[in-house]
Amino acid sequence: MKQSKATAFDIALVALMVAVIEVFKFAMMGLPNIELTSFWLILFSKNFGKKVYFVVPVFVLLEGIIFGFNLWWISYLYVWPFLVFVTRILKKNDSAIIWASMSAVFGLCFGALCAIPYMFTGTDLQSGLTLAFNWWIAGIPWDIAHCAGNFVLMLLLYKPLSEVMTRLQKHGKI
Amino acid sequence: MKGKKILAVAVVAVLVIAMALAYSAYSEKATAGMKHVTIEVVMADETSSVYTVDTDGEYLIDAMNAADGLTFEGEEGPYGFAVNTVNGITANLEYGGAYWAFYIGEEYCNYGVSEQPINDGDEFRIVYTLAQ
Repeated sequence: MKQSKATAFDIALVALMVAVIEVFKFAMMGLPNIELTSFWLILFSKNFGKKVYFVVPVFVLLEGIIFGFNLWWISYLYVWPFLVFVTRILKKNDSAIIWASMSAVFGLCFGALCAIPYMFTGTDLQSGLTLAFNWWIAGIPWDIAHCAGNFVLMLLLYKPLSEVMTRLQKHGKI
Repeated sequence: MKGKKILAVAVVAVLVIAMALAYSAYSEKATAGMKHVTIEVVMADETSSVYTVDTDGEYLIDAMNAADGLTFEGEEGPYGFAVNTVNGITANLEYGGAYWAFYIGEEYCNYGVSEQPINDGDEFRIVYTLAQ
């Protein structure tokens, strides 16, 4: 049975992808819910295939170490893998508008997805559901900002950065 | 392909409208008129001070401003006004690993102080909290 082993190059590539995500996350922290994490994860998932499966756990762990392992962190355990999963399903698509729309919907659903752990913080199921619902509703303006940011950034950056990655792959650089 | 692109953008537009309507229907609203509210400040050593406020303000920040003896500082951030100092005690998440947590009754406030609506009889707590 053939087994594929991760090379030092693969490990360095995963570290580089996580570093790119974190650098842009910190650089854009002053902007309300405007982020490039979704953009990079979509682009990396599409171009680097299964290597991104190692990027997400490292990124999520790093976020917990930096910002603390609080309730929001639980949602990171499934929100970002979910984005990668959907991207892998749509990987053959090459339309910037389709990717921008997908990223926008992810931004819109982000609050709802992150509200799930709040369902388990109530004294009973009813109060948990109310807590999660109120938390989601309060964040809708930020979800809409997230949606707009994801749409515009993907629309502007998808083609140029996708071409750079394709060119590097053709020349065997990555 | 063109049809798929139009459909994708339409889905985004419909979802944005639906969520805006949900926010409009279910978000907490500020109410006009005089309200009687209490604000309890709980320090790191669990000592507390209670302030009773009568105000016609609509948001928590208005009640905090009207509370005699309560002082606070903060700054406008990307998510609204962020309180970092209460009664002279600064809680800094980056350097001290602590923050001021805001509660309405037993529940954590879902809005920042400048967007948190107040209603007559509300009981707020501002608690010095260590990040975990």
